[in-house]
Amino acid sequence: MNNEPERGIQRKLRKRLRVESFFKLLMAASTWLVLASLVLILAIILWKSLPALKLSMITRNPGSGYYLGREGGILNAILGSLQVVFGATLLALAIALPAVVFLTSYLRQKSWLAELIRFSLDVLWGIPSIVYGAFGFLIMITFHLRASLLAGMITVAMVELPILSRALEETIRLVPSDLKEATYSLGASRWQTATRVVLRQVFPGLVTAVLMAMGRGLGDAAAVLFTAGYTDKITTSLLQPVATLPLAIFFQLNSPFPEVQQRAYASAAILTVLVLFISLASRRLSRRLGRHKIS
Amino acid sequence: MNQTSRLRVENLNVFYGQNHVLKNISLSLPDNRITVIIGPSGCGKTTLLRSLNRLLDEQEGVRVEGRVFLDGQDIYQPGVDITLVRKRMGLLSQKPQVLPMSIYDNVAFGPRLLGLRDRRHLDDLVEKYLRLAGLWEEVKGRLQEPASRLSIGQQQRLCLARGLAVEPEVILGDEPTSALDPQSSRNVETQLLNLKENYTIVLVTHILRQARRLADYVAFLYFGELIEFGPASEVLISPRDSRTRAYITGEIS
Amino acid sequence: MSIQRLSRRDRGPELATAPFAFFPVALAGAIFLALLIKAWPLLSLKSLSSLIFSSTWLPSRGHFGLWPFILGTIWVTISAFVLAVPVAILTSLYLSEYAPARVKRIFQPILDLLAGLPSVIYGMWGVLIVVPLVSKYLAPFFGRQSSGYSILAASLVLALMILPTIISVSVEVLNSVPLALKEAALSLGATRFEVIRYVVMKKSFPGMLAACVLGLSRAFGETIAVLMVVGNVPAIPRSLFSPAYPLPALLANNYGEMMSIPGYESALNLAALLLLVIVVGFSLLARWYLVRISRRSS
Repeated sequence: MNNEPERGIQRKLRKRLRVESFFKLLMAASTWLVLASLVLILAIILWKSLPALKLSMITRNPGSGYYLGREGGILNAILGSLQVVFGATLLALAIALPAVVFLTSYLRQKSWLAELIRFSLDVLWGIPSIVYGAFGFLIMITFHLRASLLAGMITVAMVELPILSRALEETIRLVPSDLKEATYSLGASRWQTATRVVLRQVFPGLVTAVLMAMGRGLGDAAAVLFTAGYTDKITTSLLQPVATLPLAIFFQLNSPFPEVQQRAYASAAILTVLVLFISLASRRLSRRLGRHKIS
Repeated sequence: MNQTSRLRVENLNVFYGQNHVLKNISLSLPDNRITVIIGPSGCGKTTLLRSLNRLLDEQEGVRVEGRVFLDGQDIYQPGVDITLVRKRMGLLSQKPQVLPMSIYDNVAFGPRLLGLRDRRHLDDLVEKYLRLAGLWEEVKGRLQEPASRLSIGQQQRLCLARGLAVEPEVILGDEPTSALDPQSSRNVETQLLNLKENYTIVLVTHILRQARRLADYVAFLYFGELIEFGPASEVLISPRDSRTRAYITGEIS
Repeated sequence: MSIQRLSRRDRGPELATAPFAFFPVALAGAIFLALLIKAWPLLSLKSLSSLIFSSTWLPSRGHFGLWPFILGTIWVTISAFVLAVPVAILTSLYLSEYAPARVKRIFQPILDLLAGLPSVIYGMWGVLIVVPLVSKYLAPFFGRQSSGYSILAASLVLALMILPTIISVSVEVLNSVPLALKEAALSLGATRFEVIRYVVMKKSFPGMLAACVLGLSRAFGETIAVLMVVGNVPAIPRSLFSPAYPLPALLANNYGEMMSIPGYESALNLAALLLLVIVVGFSLLARWYLVRISRRSS
């Protein structure tokens, strides 16, 4: 029977294909499981927030008796979060930008100094934000500062710094060396090359990085927990305490009153929308700003 | 040779780590002429060109020994400012490298580096150099458009205009037509021939026919050594060295 | 002969930007030192090992055993990791190798959004869904009783939270496997799954590992989402259904208000220091390992 081995191969192939379909099914199942549970998160938050989602949530501060379920909104926390995160991002950018320019323009990529700086950024990147919160608190007591907008900004800036620096360095490293050399051969110094050409070329990437860091800062509760304090008013000075959205959600959720808990869901929906807006904006902007970019 | 040379190379050696890529090169590049450097790929043509405006310095692990004189000044001397050296030599690279900004800003980039801010003066310069590079008529209506929207041939001429705008004395070209279509190549070649009256031009090419069309002088490099250098008519028609002859007749490439 | 590679005009900007580049170095050092100094009063009284391995946590009587918190951190993180990694790998393989383009197009923005979703929202979802799920269904199914506020709930929430990050990085890694390599294997008669198993997985192992480490280091330090569902009971956890009290939760609940009890402040700073050392040590270890395997394979 000379087609006996042929049949053996056939049988083996069928087995191999069965293994393939089994794993393929498994993969598809896990994909849909992930997708479903993620969508479920969004759906549940929206659904739960509907009863409390009124315009007054975003136009008013908490009134008296708000935490017992009476009238009011969380304008204080929305504005407060934006204040903290804008200040923090500016602060982080003011450090990350020159740091990365120095790292990429004035240091050779493999020099020990560059390695040390990159290593420190990696370490900072790994530090949990609660530890930054603790460190921020220690700074506060050292300088006799109380929980305030300023302290919150500084702490969130520390959380954002490594995220920003890493994203910036990665995009700057992608700039073709030919482009830099073209600029050098026009007699530009490295500083001129970095500021007038490289930063221009990576501008869309820079915007994306900044928005990403903002998104992270906006949602970080642990960093502001001990440093920003909380207030029912709108903060007008750097030294006043400031309300933030994640903490507003957290505190309202811990309330025994169902009306207040519902507002926690509504606040969560507002925070989600803000984050969604930032992530959409970053997609849109990076496409729009890229018109001069050399590909 | 009774030609004057403001650009001279003396005993130039270049090492990439342990690799000795340029071996004791000495060469005087005649003023207001086109000198074409030919040779098989990997022989060090581009390295030689990049040593002239010290772009080699930007690469890691490169060591340069020897001297390169520009108007009697050794550009590898300590204390020489690298940006001033580069400003005096324009570079055209293999692939045109336009800067991520408008056509206008590309040409104005060099003058602005030197601190020129006056808008009218800049306008004049931009027009002058775009004309000199033979691009003005094609782009005069859309100077504010991103330079990246130009065709690749136009981009290369824009790079030429941008390089000219810093008022160099020397133009370096590293196979400047290799990424272009035949028509655009012709165009760039014509501009180079027009420009040689006022500039010293050094070109690297691996296309022998291009060397025949453009060269006044030819240098032949082989494995990091300068084998032969002389007027194009001599080197390309009756070379003295057998290796040059072998390269020109296509036996080695 | 030393030539000047930098223009004179670059010296000013170089000097001006250098301090900013050293800032991260200084900050990392400052955080470590500040916590160490603050933890020192306690460390000078008791040995480090007695603080770490003791399980008695009674601040009012001066007992500061951190072992329950350390164990809590490890339990929660490891179980989240074990839950997340297989799912993440299967999903990213499906997305990069099998999924139709349409599915990818839907998935990518959702993953991006969810990777950036604040942890308090995951925590809230945990309180609403996961905690009841554990107390009403999962625990009885295994014959246990549980309030639902448990290690299992925390690790489920955490797993879901780190999934988007791991998946999107893994998909990127998988997509970078050269098509020619896959085609070469396919043309030898391998099935697609065999290509994945013997070629794609092998080629992208370091990258996938890096993606998992990324998720893991995020899980280690996650505070709010875990705090909301883990129960916060300072005792040695016995099973997945018992509550725990990870280090970040300990800090979050007590850090601001620790002044009145002697030694308490020191103990909490020590907890922060331990958390820092664990997370940083872990990610450095992973980095070192990755550098080693990437050197071996190149």
